[in-house]
Amino acid sequence: MLLVVNGLYDDSEHEDPGHPERPDRVTAARAGVTDLHLGSDLVIVPSYSATRDELLRVHSGGYLDELGAFCYGGGGDIDPDTFATVDSMTIARHAVGGGLAVIRELQRLGDGVGFVVARPPGHHALEDRAMGFCLLNNVAVAAAALRAQGERVLIVDWDVHHGNGTQQIFWDDPDVLYVSTHQWPLFPGSGGASEVGGRHAINRTVNVPLPAGATGDVVRRAIDEVAAPVIDAFDPTWVLVSAGFDAHRADPMAELQLTSGDFAEMARSVADFAPQTGRLAMFLEGGYDLEALRASVHASLSSLLGGTNEVERPSSGGPGGDHVARVQRERRAALEIVRSNEDEETES
Amino acid sequence: MNVLRTIAVGYDGSPDSVAAVCWSFDLAKKLDADVTVVHAVGLLEHLDGAFSRHEAPAALVALTKESGFDETRLRWFVDDGDACSVLLRAAAPPLNAELLVVGSRGRGNRAGLLLGSTSLEVAEHATTPVVIVPSSQTEDEGLVDKTRLA
Repeated sequence: MLLVVNGLYDDSEHEDPGHPERPDRVTAARAGVTDLHLGSDLVIVPSYSATRDELLRVHSGGYLDELGAFCYGGGGDIDPDTFATVDSMTIARHAVGGGLAVIRELQRLGDGVGFVVARPPGHHALEDRAMGFCLLNNVAVAAAALRAQGERVLIVDWDVHHGNGTQQIFWDDPDVLYVSTHQWPLFPGSGGASEVGGRHAINRTVNVPLPAGATGDVVRRAIDEVAAPVIDAFDPTWVLVSAGFDAHRADPMAELQLTSGDFAEMARSVADFAPQTGRLAMFLEGGYDLEALRASVHASLSSLLGGTNEVERPSSGGPGGDHVARVQRERRAALEIVRSNEDEETES
Repeated sequence: MNVLRTIAVGYDGSPDSVAAVCWSFDLAKKLDADVTVVHAVGLLEHLDGAFSRHEAPAALVALTKESGFDETRLRWFVDDGDACSVLLRAAAPPLNAELLVVGSRGRGNRAGLLLGSTSLEVAEHATTPVVIVPSSQTEDEGLVDKTRLA
């Protein structure tokens, strides 16, 4: 069973002509869902406007006030990448509320897989700042809500860009494990292997930066060899996926060389980390080539639902084969330093 | 011994960033310092691909000549990220800038404090001294015209 949350159905008012983060992306992602032909196994969950208290788990009150005032005052360019319109705050709150709604429904049913088809994306949004097309951090608010219920939340971020906002928000939180595979160097410039978490959350951040041109075999190795042991030790009770599809080889925003078949493989791996059915939800992040987005959504959801109808084969043979071992070495060295600093502080 | 060896200045082609670069050149000449011009590459600029990581843009080279600053003491530093983060990286190894200079307003509205005034954010997080070159300097000294070089 697939539970799909649409953000505000008419998100066309959050648009800047010519900008790649555009309403057509949601249409393409929805088409990827339709292609599954699920019939009664497809459940549409209505979104709602996330409340201020729900947003305050992640964002500062001052930021929410200022973003709201900026939008309702007419909007404009927040920075060279990020725009807002008069309706953007309303639409962004529905995107967040969509994530919260699908999680509640998964909890009620105790079954199924969730997919939050909403925009704007969220994983670059910081506690107190919009950036990288993102206004509110959808996946972070959902994780924070689960954490408030005592859950241990794994966030897997396979967008081609590092989710600096999500990492920052949970940097020192021992109950949220953030795992990211991303191209590096690339916007936003963070996400090095040596970033392993704050002093109260050592080893709760796992970054696997990948070189341009890397193929799916390297990403799969990164998940299996670097992330899986940490995830197993963390033992999550929920799994949320920051599902950007801009690592696809057709995407214009970056240079990884993944196929829709790779996303299917990654989805299969991530599903294994969930303790039981009904504890996994995907959140749409990036993905700017509409055909690749549609195919990748379709492939990854099909995989999560146990299907095998992939169109593209998983990719392999790109650069970065030695990269995973290097990432491991950098992580171990960073963990050693952080832990020795911790010991010194404890002793003094 | 030099008071300052390296000045890092943010540059995005906006009038205020041009003013900040000119102000940095003037100071560097007086203090016998190097200038690192810092440019942050965002998502859309990566999409356009209209920048070079290795060569300073022609507009900046022209500005350097016009200011009478020694080109051999100019360094072009491009990195991915938001303007504040990239400028702060210039103050860390290996660049180790000892002074950060930024225009008061860059590209984008930067309407309020929390929504993203780069200059104030840099000032809040920097561990080195920061100079914010005010917009009025751009207007008073006619530097707006120099943006046409960009």
